[in-house]
Amino acid sequence: MQESIQIFIADDNRLLREGLVSMLVEQNDMLVVGKAPSGREALEQIKRLRPEVALIDIGMPDKDGIELTQALRQDAPEVKVIILGMIDLSDEIMQCIEAGAAGYVLKESSFDHLVETIRSVHRGESFCSPQMTASLFTRIAELASEKMPKLQNSVKLTVRELEIITLIAEGLPNKEIAQRLFIETQTVKNHVHNILDKLQLQNRLEAVRYARERNLLKQS
Amino acid sequence: MLSDVIRSMIEHQPDMRVVCEVLDPIELLRTMRLVPADVVIITPLKVNGDQRICNHLLEEHPLLKIMILSANSKAGLLFQMGVPTIRIDDPSEQEILSALRTIVR
Repeated sequence: MQESIQIFIADDNRLLREGLVSMLVEQNDMLVVGKAPSGREALEQIKRLRPEVALIDIGMPDKDGIELTQALRQDAPEVKVIILGMIDLSDEIMQCIEAGAAGYVLKESSFDHLVETIRSVHRGESFCSPQMTASLFTRIAELASEKMPKLQNSVKLTVRELEIITLIAEGLPNKEIAQRLFIETQTVKNHVHNILDKLQLQNRLEAVRYARERNLLKQS
Repeated sequence: MLSDVIRSMIEHQPDMRVVCEVLDPIELLRTMRLVPADVVIITPLKVNGDQRICNHLLEEHPLLKIMILSANSKAGLLFQMGVPTIRIDDPSEQEILSALRTIVR
């Protein structure tokens, strides 16, 4: 016989909380092990009851859904959290994901959608609706483009600068690098200064690590 | 989700049934002309501008009883003849059902 998915419901809306309990218990594969009207009470109960899936309202008194999810990541990391959200805001969904939520369902979604999400999350999948996935990808693209200038700096390093980083990685001091490249020591210092400035790094070690991680070091 | 909960709650009652469910105010007004109901329950997540909808509904159906679940349904308001007669804070399923029976009787 298939074991039931153990579910906890945290929502300050009594009607929704009780209603979801009534409807979820009618599912053959689900069991509601507890419910709470506030974030603080939910945290205490979830730590004690250890459900497999927790449905958490995003806007609760005491401790909101995101704070509760963060606390659960510390205190009950095995519990899979599905946030019940009010609005389709990519920033809010991103916050929930960062907090550790495995799923995000709008309260205006159907009950069937919630049930489908619970089963998916219980199987170990992350879940949000296709509409939300689209806005999420848009937000990720925005965040990625904000980081682009830093990445572009790596390709702006000149051939000479890459030569110098490679020699630094071999452990050579500035004077020996100068001798190897037939340039003045002060010129090497200038190049090193420019490299650190371009990459917004503090020292030579960080520059070497940066170049190594991006396979920028020249083969000797 | 809330409307699913309410529909399920009502469908489990022997003396109540859901005659129709709509998603927006225009559809509500149009449907009420075709499928008369004793009570209209309005959930704020699906229908906005509750007071204007009430006025429109009551103009066409003066004896209609209306239950409005406030934002987040932390309170339930029942209207008879356009006047709020019952207010339930943070209502339970049983309190909603009991209020519906009281108002229709």
